[in-house]
Amino acid sequence: MLHFNFDYYRPSSIDEAVELFDKLDQDGKKPIYLSGGTEITTLGRLNQVFTKAVIDVKGIPECNVLDYKQDSVVVVGAALTLTQVWESKILPLLGEACVRIGDRTSRNQITLGGNLASEIIYREAVLPLLLSNSTFVVAGIEGIRQLSVHKIFKEKLRLKRGEFLVQIKVDGKYRKMPFYIEKKRKSERVDYPLITLEALKVDRSIRLAISGLCAFPFRSYEMEKELNNTDISIEERIDRAILRIPAPVISDIRGSREYRIFVLRNTLLDALIYLGGVRA
Amino acid sequence: MKRYRVIGKSVLKKESWDKVSGRVKYIDDHQEVGTLHVKLLTSTYAHAYIGNVDTTEAWKVPGVRAIVTGKDYPLLIGTTIKDRPLLAFDKVRYYGEPIAMVIADTEAIAIQAVTLICVEYKPLRVVNSPVEAYQKDAPLVHDQIEQYLIDQDADTTGTSGGIRPVPGTNIANRQGIRKGNIERGFARSDVIVEEVFSFKQSDHTAIETRCADVEIKKTGEVIIHSASQEPFEMRELISQTFNIDEGKVHVHIPLVGGSFGAKTSVQLEPLAYVASKAVGGRKVRLRNSREEDIVTSPVHIGLHAKVKMGCTRDGKLQAIKLFFLFDGGAYAERAVPVTKAAAFDCTGPYTIDHVWCDSLCMYTNHPYATDFRGFGRTEVAFGVERTIDIMANKLGMCPLEFRLKNAIQPGDTSPTKVLLNKSNLGDIRECLLQLRELIDWDRGQRIDISDRIVRTKGISCTWKNGDPPPGVGAGAILTFNSDGGININCAAIEIGQGTKTVLTQMVAEKMKMDVDDVFIQMEVNTQLSPEHWETAASRTTFLSGNAVLRAVEDAIRQLKRTAAIILKVPVDELEVANKKVYKKTSPSISIDFSEIVYGYIFPDGKVAGTQVVGRGTYMIPGITEMDPVTGRGIQGPEWGVVAQAVEVEFDKRDNTFKLIRAVSVADAGTILNYKGAETQVMGAMNMGLSFATREGFLYDDQGKVLTTQFRSYKVMHYGEQPEYIVRFIENPVKGAPFGSRGLGEHGIMGMPAAVANSLSLAANVSLQQLPLTPEFIWKTRLKAGEVY
Repeated sequence: MLHFNFDYYRPSSIDEAVELFDKLDQDGKKPIYLSGGTEITTLGRLNQVFTKAVIDVKGIPECNVLDYKQDSVVVVGAALTLTQVWESKILPLLGEACVRIGDRTSRNQITLGGNLASEIIYREAVLPLLLSNSTFVVAGIEGIRQLSVHKIFKEKLRLKRGEFLVQIKVDGKYRKMPFYIEKKRKSERVDYPLITLEALKVDRSIRLAISGLCAFPFRSYEMEKELNNTDISIEERIDRAILRIPAPVISDIRGSREYRIFVLRNTLLDALIYLGGVRA
Repeated sequence: MKRYRVIGKSVLKKESWDKVSGRVKYIDDHQEVGTLHVKLLTSTYAHAYIGNVDTTEAWKVPGVRAIVTGKDYPLLIGTTIKDRPLLAFDKVRYYGEPIAMVIADTEAIAIQAVTLICVEYKPLRVVNSPVEAYQKDAPLVHDQIEQYLIDQDADTTGTSGGIRPVPGTNIANRQGIRKGNIERGFARSDVIVEEVFSFKQSDHTAIETRCADVEIKKTGEVIIHSASQEPFEMRELISQTFNIDEGKVHVHIPLVGGSFGAKTSVQLEPLAYVASKAVGGRKVRLRNSREEDIVTSPVHIGLHAKVKMGCTRDGKLQAIKLFFLFDGGAYAERAVPVTKAAAFDCTGPYTIDHVWCDSLCMYTNHPYATDFRGFGRTEVAFGVERTIDIMANKLGMCPLEFRLKNAIQPGDTSPTKVLLNKSNLGDIRECLLQLRELIDWDRGQRIDISDRIVRTKGISCTWKNGDPPPGVGAGAILTFNSDGGININCAAIEIGQGTKTVLTQMVAEKMKMDVDDVFIQMEVNTQLSPEHWETAASRTTFLSGNAVLRAVEDAIRQLKRTAAIILKVPVDELEVANKKVYKKTSPSISIDFSEIVYGYIFPDGKVAGTQVVGRGTYMIPGITEMDPVTGRGIQGPEWGVVAQAVEVEFDKRDNTFKLIRAVSVADAGTILNYKGAETQVMGAMNMGLSFATREGFLYDDQGKVLTTQFRSYKVMHYGEQPEYIVRFIENPVKGAPFGSRGLGEHGIMGMPAAVANSLSLAANVSLQQLPLTPEFIWKTRLKAGEVY
């Protein structure tokens, strides 16, 4: 239960939403955009989020797009639930990341945009979007911007005040490429990750993105480079990749730093074997 | 084996359909207009002095009716040692301890106001484990325990009594067992092993969080609605604490949404009473959030155990020396009885002549503990049953053969020196022999599936006597409907264990009538129902069953007496069945219950008999006081025994595992409701596996509990459970209803040890801590040089 009251708005267009935000912000309502609402509930009851107005973007048509035509771009609206994204099979690389988040009941509520914009550190839905060099469509009072994921998602989604995520776009060629995804948890089937690792094979090289290992999800070109160095043994490649982890590895109630690295090592091995060219 | 008509049958629980269709109403489902809501302010420190508690800003929130702080009610309460402030004043002793409360028009307002209360803390050094608590230079959780009162009911030396806190230490109580001569026992041993085992506190995680409503009427009557296992003790505690006539305190308990021991402790009700008082007696509701239910309300105890075992070369156990440091948390409460009971059954079901045990209930700066399914046995069995395996391994013996060889027998004595016979002791050998078949033991304890995957089996044996204090009992009243149907009134609480339904089966069996014609009220009301000792210790069916059976006999006597006059047949020639009284030799001479249950009137106006009201009461005989040093005494009527096995599939590379199969063979005495018994044991097994593999609090170095939500405190999800196999053997107990033994707790007791034995074999290291997470197994193997 949330112990504070707030006004609820459900605009039906992008313009209406951004203008509402601007106005409510000026009125001191500390507005926030809402989509699935799970995080507001989670953090609000712990007093970590407070607002006097929420703007629900689920009524905006652009946020509900799910589109792909032959040889073109996959467009996924930010207000689609993780379940919808997965069930649509429009982009398996993304759907398989979505279906590993939370449990089914939560996924029926959590939206793609909500997961990407989350305050909770995992944001696992970004992994495939980093791997596929996707484009993020964001709306603000100054209009609509289209940016590369690498520009707007650095550790977390870097939106300007008053902006919200409308859609993501991914080149259709990524629909058929081989990929590997594994989420390793402490012991449960439903939990935050120790690590979630997704690897994509493009031509003969491997791309790698990881959540849960550090305090933010990332794609690491340095680690990719080591893994793609086929001159040396697979174990050596993994050892070298581990030396290139871009930030401190976290230790928390789910697992120690050492254990996370142990798990990473095994999962990288499985990924490389799965994506071919390597024997165990 | 005697055959019964209704007993033993899988009669559906009376509340089943309401439960599965979501129609059951728990306390919090009832909303009454005008009820005010209470929210607790809880401590963010585990150990600190409290300075000023500033409520100025909180009072400014519209809708706030009252704010109560610890200083307003500097009372100490408790059902064992009276050491616990209602609301902390002076100092807080655990993270999550209640400090103040706000009473407001809505819960949302109360929460808002609570967040605006400012508390000055002066942090103190934290006692963060029972081992720390035991050190000579440890900070004291309670400075002057010698000044605390001991509850007057706890002044005997039963499981709840004879409590002696040790001044100048963190020891709330010490219970000993001295049987035989421990030195001589070890001297006779060829092989001695000594190991240390531990696990932290954890939670019961009943789905229904604790909740209480209290209203004080203008007449002074106190009306309490609560999710509790002990309405009568609550009534007494409220009456004594606040000096109210017990007759004015009425406790109502509806169906309880799971408990597992959690709701034996009286905590929210006195707080809600004070809250109601602060708002002129208006009805208030105090309900726990999940976080509060996990950390503020009492928890499952933690343990650090040292186990030393001696055995001859040919595998005959000689001696066991046990030293337990239990993590009872900040207040003694029911941790004391748990730690005493742990000592009484400390050896497990084995013949060991020389036993030495000291079971210490330690104060720490952790949440305080209460009963948990198994009541000390689950905890102790983890250490003892792991050591049994370690010993068997050292002797090169099969762990099952080793257990069979040492299984306790009629003619042996318990650690408390009770002479065992076929009635008061279940047959553990028979359980083990059946277990051997069911788990395919002889096909191998360890089977390699591939280079990485190995399948292993681990077993354990446990026993439990219910340990009520001397003098506990129950009562039952039977009334009749005009059609001859029967209503049972007794104060056994339905917490999901199925007692209520079993009682209707007993009445139907004894009355030889249809179970659908026997009714029982789910709600318990202390004003209406005869007193019943708490619904705990797997003793409820035993106590209320005996009372109900006596009430049936009483009703039958009355029915026959009336019928004898009408039918003109002597009483001893009459029999009852199918809601009729009839003549044994010519059953056509009969009269329906419906004609006589409210009395019978002849055409001439003469009366034969009056309304039939069956009355039955029962008190457990033979329970004695328990010696605090030697443990000598009779703690309960009978030992139920169970042999269990767990099969796992272990991945040697990842150190992860799957639970494949879990088996229990329990001595049920007599099965009362087959499906009911099976699912009780199965549910308990699941709870045991969840506890052993996932649960357990994590604290930071300042004693703050880090796992207060289901997203951080993990229990087993549906679908992760292994295949469960439950079988029973039946060796009836004299004096128990239909010869039945307690079963509510037995399924859990051996699970942690069995899964730890299985995984230790699989991982090729000795696992001596819970929970058995893949990371813990990996670390243990790393230390042992098993992995790199």
